[in-house]
Amino acid sequence: MKRLTVKTIREAAPYQQLVAEHGSPLLVLDCDLLTQQYKKLSSALPGVELFYAIKSLPHPAAIDTLHQLGASFDIATSGEIELLREQRAEPRHTIHTHPIKRDRDIRDALRFGCTTFVIDNIYELEKFVDYRHRVGLLVRVSFPNPDSPVDLSRKFGCRPDEVEMLLQKANALGIHVKGLSFHAGSQCPDASNHVRAIEACGEIIHRYNEQSSRSMAILDIGGGFPVEYVGDTAEVDIDRFCAPIRAALATLPEHLHIIAEPGRYLSAPSMEAVSRVMGKARRGEQVWYYLDDGLYGSYSGQLFDHALYPLTVFSDHDEREAAVIAGPTCDSIDVIAEDVELPSLNIGDLVIGHQMGAYTSASATDFNLFERATIVAINRDTESDSATNLLHLAYR
Amino acid sequence: MKHYAETLYDSYGQEFRVDRLYFENKTDHQHLVIFENALFGRVMALDGVIQTTEADEFIYHEMLTHVPLLAHGNVKSVLIIGGGDGGILREVCKHTGVEEITQVEIDDQVVEMCKEYLPNHSAGAYDDPRVEIVIDDGANYVKNCDRQFDLIISDSTDPIGPAEVLFTEDFYGNCKSCLKPEGIMVTQNGVAYMQLDEVVNTALRFKPHFADRSFYSAAVPTYIGGIMTFAWGSDNPAARQQTLETIEERYQSAEIKTRYYNPAIHLASFALPQYIVEATQV
Repeated sequence: MKRLTVKTIREAAPYQQLVAEHGSPLLVLDCDLLTQQYKKLSSALPGVELFYAIKSLPHPAAIDTLHQLGASFDIATSGEIELLREQRAEPRHTIHTHPIKRDRDIRDALRFGCTTFVIDNIYELEKFVDYRHRVGLLVRVSFPNPDSPVDLSRKFGCRPDEVEMLLQKANALGIHVKGLSFHAGSQCPDASNHVRAIEACGEIIHRYNEQSSRSMAILDIGGGFPVEYVGDTAEVDIDRFCAPIRAALATLPEHLHIIAEPGRYLSAPSMEAVSRVMGKARRGEQVWYYLDDGLYGSYSGQLFDHALYPLTVFSDHDEREAAVIAGPTCDSIDVIAEDVELPSLNIGDLVIGHQMGAYTSASATDFNLFERATIVAINRDTESDSATNLLHLAYR
Repeated sequence: MKHYAETLYDSYGQEFRVDRLYFENKTDHQHLVIFENALFGRVMALDGVIQTTEADEFIYHEMLTHVPLLAHGNVKSVLIIGGGDGGILREVCKHTGVEEITQVEIDDQVVEMCKEYLPNHSAGAYDDPRVEIVIDDGANYVKNCDRQFDLIISDSTDPIGPAEVLFTEDFYGNCKSCLKPEGIMVTQNGVAYMQLDEVVNTALRFKPHFADRSFYSAAVPTYIGGIMTFAWGSDNPAARQQTLETIEERYQSAEIKTRYYNPAIHLASFALPQYIVEATQV
């Protein structure tokens, strides 16, 4: 995807309308797009129970939309539990996947009704002795992925050869381990690491079930399903991406319950950032545009998530000049895009950021006490007002 | 909400059809749900765990009340910890010899919602002039209490949540200080087959405080997984060893109507399966 697109002024109208109604900056969540993403992934992974990783976009409208589609939920904190409680999600369809927990985190989850937890070491296992009659655990196994922009295997996960020791210890403590989980990475270029991990976990589960009187019955294949950001050349075809995963899963015993924890794939394409130019300055050879949202706000993912978002501006002129798009805070690091060729923009003009659902507002800060972007959910149901339905967010 | 799935265990559980939802809310202390089910009538759940149903509550409330009351034989004062649904209070109030009843419940919303939606549980007992209701943490109450009671009944939720402190040795010790010399303390102690750790823990934690310790049991259908145990602690071993004749005589003179409890059940309820006997030899 390319960094910058210039559209005609006329095409800004639906965004102008939203800003007139809700102010700026905005993050516009299109629940139809979220639904489409969920359905695409569901059909690419038939028989796999999808637990939405709500950390990527912990917003009530997103939870509600996915809940109504029958999604399950992946939670990591008590705050996320409260969000699910408000949305009336069924606790039986939740898993707590934070590998490191305080006692009260475990208690909060149990009181909510979540009984599945993830561990990856002996200290964490021992925390469940008091709750052994109530819980079923997944052991998170680490499979390092050098090709993933976010390596999720360094901070968490045990080595495959440590699983057996943990299982023995769990049995000795009377704690039931019901399966394995892994995270192949984030934004994976292909499914090779998933396949490698599925095969290795399948082997561990097979060996354990042969040798033990107890059984592991769940394999959690994590997330890592990619979306397109700036610089990604090929369009993501999720069905093709998942084909090797389907093939690997087909070799596993039928009784094994397969689950996944998609976050980014569902939320990223579902939200756009709508910001306004609040000031401009000519500095040397470049024009600086200062937006009312930036790296400390919705664009925080450019720092934390290593994502570069496609941008759209609106102009009917053909001239371009070198420009910088900066955020509003006093920090000089707060620059969204440098060395871009822009048409001349006026103060008050709109700049749109695309693919901005995942790890954007989720990691925004209050730095400078600049107000965060307001999240506006559109297309929550087909009966919603026609004004917001005018906007179709699909970028392309 | 079309169904209510209890989340007490990971790999097993009971599910109710919700024929009508009366109340669902997160109170200051816990998540409270009250609904109607064709088989069990009105059902109350806290934090994902079934607490009581109209259909089978009599078993639990009668056994947690009449066994210690008639075993003691001369109870004048009762302290109820928890019991916000009012079922224990109703059973205690049946005994005309009881002069003072103090109930300490942490969650006033549970009391109010149960008065409204489970009125048959308390059956007007909250209006009995002998009753004093205190909204407080039960552990806090017994720690600072300078009164002494003939009987303490701990009718708590499971030990994950606000009731956690009601399963500690400190709490049992403080309760002991609030008991008269011949007094008895009983607690709900979970379904032993499913939660044997709770029985073992209570056996250990009662040990320093009570000369005579035991458990007794009853099967309550919606406390799934077999018999529910009640813990028993007292310094008067005779209370637990009353003859059938004595209990029969007290039951008759109390003139109470019961549906589960009777003198034969009273004596039989102290007979425990071998796995509980062995687990509680601490």
